[in-house]
Amino acid sequence: MSRLTARELTLAYDDRTVVHELDLAVPDGRVTVIVGPNACGKSTTLRALGRLLKPKGGAVLLDGAELAKIPTKKIARSIGLLPQSPVAPEAITVADLVARGRQPHQHWWQQWSQEDERAVTDAMERTDVTALAGRPVDELSGGQRQRVWIAMALAQETDLLLLDEPTTFLDIAHQVEVLDLVRQLNHERGRTVVAVLHDLNQAARYADHLVAMKAGRIVAEGHPDDIVNAELVREVFGMESVVVPDPVTGSPLVVPGAPYSPAPQAPTPTPQSA
Amino acid sequence: MSADTVTTVRPAGYGLVRTGRRGSFLLHRRAAGVALGLAATLAAACVAYLCVGESFVAPGEVLKVVLGQPSPDELVVGTLRLPRMVLGLLVGAAFGVAGALIQTVARNPLASPDIIGISQGASAVTVGVLTFGVTSYTVLPYLSVTGGILAAALVYVFAWRGGLHATRFVLIGIGFAIALRSITTLFMTKGDYLVAQQAQIWMTGSLNGRGWEEAAPLGWTLLALVPAVLWAARAQRTVSMDDDTATALGVRLGRVRLGLVLLGVVLASIATGAAGPVDFVALLAPQIARRTTRTAQIPLLCSALLGAVIVVLADLAARRMFSPTELPVGVLTAAIGAPYLIWLIIRSRTAGGTS
Repeated sequence: MSRLTARELTLAYDDRTVVHELDLAVPDGRVTVIVGPNACGKSTTLRALGRLLKPKGGAVLLDGAELAKIPTKKIARSIGLLPQSPVAPEAITVADLVARGRQPHQHWWQQWSQEDERAVTDAMERTDVTALAGRPVDELSGGQRQRVWIAMALAQETDLLLLDEPTTFLDIAHQVEVLDLVRQLNHERGRTVVAVLHDLNQAARYADHLVAMKAGRIVAEGHPDDIVNAELVREVFGMESVVVPDPVTGSPLVVPGAPYSPAPQAPTPTPQSA
Repeated sequence: MSADTVTTVRPAGYGLVRTGRRGSFLLHRRAAGVALGLAATLAAACVAYLCVGESFVAPGEVLKVVLGQPSPDELVVGTLRLPRMVLGLLVGAAFGVAGALIQTVARNPLASPDIIGISQGASAVTVGVLTFGVTSYTVLPYLSVTGGILAAALVYVFAWRGGLHATRFVLIGIGFAIALRSITTLFMTKGDYLVAQQAQIWMTGSLNGRGWEEAAPLGWTLLALVPAVLWAARAQRTVSMDDDTATALGVRLGRVRLGLVLLGVVLASIATGAAGPVDFVALLAPQIARRTTRTAQIPLLCSALLGAVIVVLADLAARRMFSPTELPVGVLTAAIGAPYLIWLIIRSRTAGGTS
């Protein structure tokens, strides 16, 4: 079952077509991860799924209706999206920012309800930012800030959550923390997650459904165990590799081919005099 | 915890005001406190304004006049000082809100109506018609509003490249401001000497010799715009985020931005029409308001109050400093505003940002 689907989706910036007639069905209640080399159109696709980019051709459908025809506030009650580098208003506090995730559920005359209160408290607890509530967002570390943004997206309480490279700029511990959080949300709340990730190994670890893209097209999709192999890595990233089972999870682990090392050379005679 | 045990007090720093069964409004506590303080300051400034002058009038007598009781100072306070003060107050409030709205949309404190050509557009049209013989104060405000909107539309069109980039918007606006200023000068050199002199005073922004004829229509117009300003106060919240985040939260960004800019332009233009371009109020008030309240977006009520305080105090000083000569209030606001502007630019360059 898929609430969110793309049909013959063609996306372009000005005249440059980035994604060509892409068909995609996002499986409900699963974590879908889109991977691919730089400029393969993965972030562009995600943006279109979250109606941040208007399709040049084809359509994105939510519950069978074209996104372009649904009022944007109504979409915001079903789809949450965290952009790659969101910008917080200057001097905003953590609690204030997270509370803004409630925007699509509020009205001009109804700026705060018990439901808002519950959602925000819950989102802040889940992301472990409750203790930071009164702190200004611009004073936080990268990892803390990313958790706050995720809290905002969670407070929106949407069934679908789109994350554009949520682990960029984070060190490895925070990357794992964020991805674990995503996975937990998916398991405990049945949220459908679509994330764009840079790291193929993380993608293989956390995805139920992996979508590999290259040059604006889907090369392969399916469970990581079924599709990730040396051949796919060569095709998508143009890199030689060995794929072995991850010692912890058993998911496919991509180990790149041998690194550069200087070929053994005959010692060059040093000139004694010049 | 279950939903019914939760007491709704969040988010931190905000108070909650409930009205009726479903109405609920968030109130930034610190901003509310600052607003109260500013209101008190404004009241004190107003009393001082009415007392001080060529002849000193005791606060008690001032109060009598304001309350409509018979007083020997009826003429000085009621006819000369009060309407001028009310005009200054309204103009300041209008500039304060206008600046706040346009700065919010452009995400740049330099994007104030008096910097990016809106006041200058209103001036060019007003001075143009003044020098060509139209001197009716009933027509002038409408013309200046038209001028302001036209200038804003031109800046918007030229700055648009598939999106609105803040820096380009400001730079093109500054360009237009300069061009429109020269056009205004051209009108003045072409026009009749006396009219040109009158236009010159108007252009510096002056409350001298203005009264109820200007204050009353401005007051009614501002009152009619209050619902729009209330909408804007809420809409500002989302516009202050980046485009993608705001869109993801279900905000129709294009429309909201256009609405906010339009409201700002109208406010700045009608204020300019009533008192001339009182420079820097629209730049100063929102920035100071934001720095004192430490809110995530520019607080509109505080901006309005601060704008009013600045203009009332500046006009009081303008009246008294070189007495009996009265300076145009715009000279005073420029004297405070220009150094602040320079400081703002230096600060934004060292911080590597523009806000």
